[in-house]
Amino acid sequence: MIEIDRLTKRYGATLVVEDVSFNVEEGTLTVVVGTSGAGKSTLLRMINRLVEPSAGRVLIDGEDTRTIPEDELRHRIGYVIQGYGLFPHRNVADNIATVPRLLRWDRKRIAQRVEELLDLFQLDPAEFAHKFPHELSGGQQQRVGVARALAARPALLLMDEPFGALDAVIRSKAQDDLIAIQRRLGATIVLVTHDMNEAFHLGDRIAVMDQARLLQYATPAELLMRPADDFVERLVGTVERPFRLLSLTPVREALEAGHAEGEPIAASESLHDALSRLLWTGRKALPVADSSGAIIGRVSVDKILQHGRPLP
Amino acid sequence: MTATSLVRLIAFLLLAAFITMPQGFAFLFEPLIAPGAPAIYNQGSLLVLTLQHLRTVCLATIASTVLAVALGIFVTRPSGAEFLPLSRSLVNIGQTFPPIAVLAIAVPLVGFGEKPTFIALFLYGLLPIFENTLTGLTQVSPLALEAARGMGMNARQRLVQVELPLALPVILAGIRLSVIISLGTATIGSTVAAKGLGEVIIAGLQSNNIAFVLQGGLVVALLAVLIHDGLGLVERVAARKLGRFLNEVP
Amino acid sequence: MVPPRPALSFDHLGFVIAVLIGIALFAAPFATYRATRIASGEARLVIEALPFSMAAALALVALGVALGAVLARDPLGRLGSAVIGLAVLLPSLGLSAGYLTPADNNFARVSPSLGFWLLSLSFSLLAVDALARMRLGPFGRLAALAVGASALALLLLSGIWDDLSILKEYDTRADSFWREARQHLLLAFGSLAAACLFGIPLGVASHRLRTLRTAVMQSLSIVQTVPSIALFGLLMAPLGAVAASVPLAAALGIRGIGAAPAFFALFLYALLPIVANTVAGLNQVPAAVVDAARGMGMSARQRLLGVEMPLALPVILAGIRIVLVQNLGLATVAALIGGGGFGAFVFQGIGQTAIDLVLLGALPTVALSFGASVVLDALVDLSKGTTPA
Ligand SMILES: Nc1ncnc2c1ncn2[C@@H]1O[C@H](COP(=O)(O)OP(=O)(O)O)[C@@H](O)[C@H]1O
Ligand SMILES: [Mg+2]
Repeated sequence: MIEIDRLTKRYGATLVVEDVSFNVEEGTLTVVVGTSGAGKSTLLRMINRLVEPSAGRVLIDGEDTRTIPEDELRHRIGYVIQGYGLFPHRNVADNIATVPRLLRWDRKRIAQRVEELLDLFQLDPAEFAHKFPHELSGGQQQRVGVARALAARPALLLMDEPFGALDAVIRSKAQDDLIAIQRRLGATIVLVTHDMNEAFHLGDRIAVMDQARLLQYATPAELLMRPADDFVERLVGTVERPFRLLSLTPVREALEAGHAEGEPIAASESLHDALSRLLWTGRKALPVADSSGAIIGRVSVDKILQHGRPLP
Repeated sequence: MTATSLVRLIAFLLLAAFITMPQGFAFLFEPLIAPGAPAIYNQGSLLVLTLQHLRTVCLATIASTVLAVALGIFVTRPSGAEFLPLSRSLVNIGQTFPPIAVLAIAVPLVGFGEKPTFIALFLYGLLPIFENTLTGLTQVSPLALEAARGMGMNARQRLVQVELPLALPVILAGIRLSVIISLGTATIGSTVAAKGLGEVIIAGLQSNNIAFVLQGGLVVALLAVLIHDGLGLVERVAARKLGRFLNEVP
Repeated sequence: MVPPRPALSFDHLGFVIAVLIGIALFAAPFATYRATRIASGEARLVIEALPFSMAAALALVALGVALGAVLARDPLGRLGSAVIGLAVLLPSLGLSAGYLTPADNNFARVSPSLGFWLLSLSFSLLAVDALARMRLGPFGRLAALAVGASALALLLLSGIWDDLSILKEYDTRADSFWREARQHLLLAFGSLAAACLFGIPLGVASHRLRTLRTAVMQSLSIVQTVPSIALFGLLMAPLGAVAASVPLAAALGIRGIGAAPAFFALFLYALLPIVANTVAGLNQVPAAVVDAARGMGMSARQRLLGVEMPLALPVILAGIRIVLVQNLGLATVAALIGGGGFGAFVFQGIGQTAIDLVLLGALPTVALSFGASVVLDALVDLSKGTTPA
């Protein structure tokens, strides 16, 4: 578990991060979201001590990060930035091998790890290991950036606007990939973004920051239904709120008994997807299938609409 | 083999042939001289002079490189940052000094011969290398540096593994410039009795022998062009990996 | 924002300067006395080179500057103390020459020595550092140059330095000094003008024609690579037949063929920066601007003169700056082949081992190059100001 305990950063008289506390459970993805200049990057950089806190502390599994030598701490925490900062003079394999080399892993182990990561990120080792960063597309660079950060199996992965440099289509694919990899590795991730859609799409929990302060730290559904104040409410977007809520809810939650015509939808898909299909096909209900493909009931427009508003 | 590398090869072979067996080319120079005057430089071996010339330039360049790169590293570290604005201005001012002035001022201090030439080459050679080291080190992508810091590289690892390799093509360009200036200054060094190819030209000027002047001029010119070319090749190899630099190195 | 540094704190550069000042005052000779022009010199410490009261005053001021350099951070204060230091140091050099030269002795020579050079170096370093930190605009830099130049002119005209060896050297050859000066400027500026007349149109043409550009750039960069004296030599042969004999640097006894090959060589050297910068300047003109001009019905000529050239001007001026500084320096070498210029004194001085004569040629060259680079840098900045990129 990562405990962020009353972290504060002051530059001269300005407070850039003010008294921020929250905990990140192991194996979860926490998104820090807020407008530009809110202090998100500074908060993130205090976790790996690229910025020294003016007050407060960070505990990783109960261990105060100040007791760990800076460089050693950073070897244990992966770090991905917008633009990635790949080393232009090193090829993909050498880029990924950076931290394992700093840790003096033996060569065979490094080579194995690099290959494993390239596979994981769907980059064919034979093709990509010896390419240089400038020979890669934006999406490939991004994957190498994340692979490099994961190379030494860090306890925690920090990501600062990791998708900021990608165009919309590649970005949503990269986001899905990140979720898949996070689930698969059970990694603990803290990700910074200014994009609310991204926050809702990725976050198990979301920390909303504004003007140096943490306004709310909650699950996406809580954020929608019980925003802490007007600012959060405006930030989550009053117009998109119902659709966001539907995106967060799986079909299973609105399952009812009965029969419906048409192609079945999986119980794990979101109500947002179900509604979209219903609108497009002009039907009132769709059959619902479980993971084995067996029909387990149906989902109807009326039932979905009930989920698109806060519970009384 | 491309046309340019063919030209390069031919130029090199011609130069080598001329400095080892200049007499073989006498017929080319005879039309230029007064009757009875020697057609080919006869006061020393062209080969020896060339080697002495190259040795002076080489030693001075090594010395300049070591000091200039060290200084460049120093003023771009936090501990030397206070010297950065001053050192930039000094390089700008230093480059307004003609090399010949440095040479001339060194003579009264250390006497005639190799020493003033070496000092002039060394001091003047510092400037382009230092300037390019500064440029190279300060233009290293801040993203790469941030990533390096974030991955837990210490200051020395960042310098050796990230900053210097990224600055290398620019530093090499500085060294190449410095070598070319030095080749010229070393030629003028013969006016203060340094051993080198300038001797041939000066001898030609003194005895009004255009053939000597032309020979000295040709050898120095070919040497400079070939070295410039060769070092350019080294730079391109160094820059090739860094695709984004390819366009910036002339 | 970075918190402002405290006004009083330890400064590393200041420390280096203070050490230099200490060495200059107590461990290095201030002036060199020679019984004749080419006799070997005798060193004189500050305390020996000046009357006691003057020596004490100079030492006090220098120590004050040292203290200020270590403790004061404010650039304006540092500049002020450096200027005061120079204002005391420079005249005292002249006083020292008068003090050390026996009355009615025309052969004795007094020249500045290591201590003086170190002191002026320290004060200048302090001033340069302060100026660099002040980030003066173009007018500020021109003003600083004008103040410096006027002060220098005042020192020279007031006669306070007349007893110095270099001015005695000047005295005996005032005529040839100004003749060589004119020749030097003629070589440097004349070849620059010729290179502009020829190079800018060539640059415009190269900008339009890719094939021409490659050929021109490649040949010019080969020319740039050839060392000056070698190029002079190579040009002498083809131009040789034309040239009239001119007596050369006496010591070397060289007979050469005059300014023609020198002028031509300087012209050739000047071409690359001019052509390359013209091309680069035109290349960086935004395509949209040219397109808009075309859309408004401007002819090719109107576009070039009214839009492209003004936008390319800062880059072209930067090329002219490079050329001018380079030419002012290279022109010194012209003397070697009878081209005249300040180099004549340098090579004569080398031949006679007369450092004062060398300096008589070298110092004006350095001053000219320095002045030219400051002025042209300011012009480049100003032209950028009028054509926002
Ligand atoms: N080193 C620094 N010195 C002074 N101010 C800083 C520094 N770093 C960041 N800031 C200020 O702190 C505020 C928050 O910055 P940052 O954490 O980068 O915001 P975000 O990542 O949310 O956009 C900004 O106003 C920024 O100007
Ligand atoms: Mg940020």
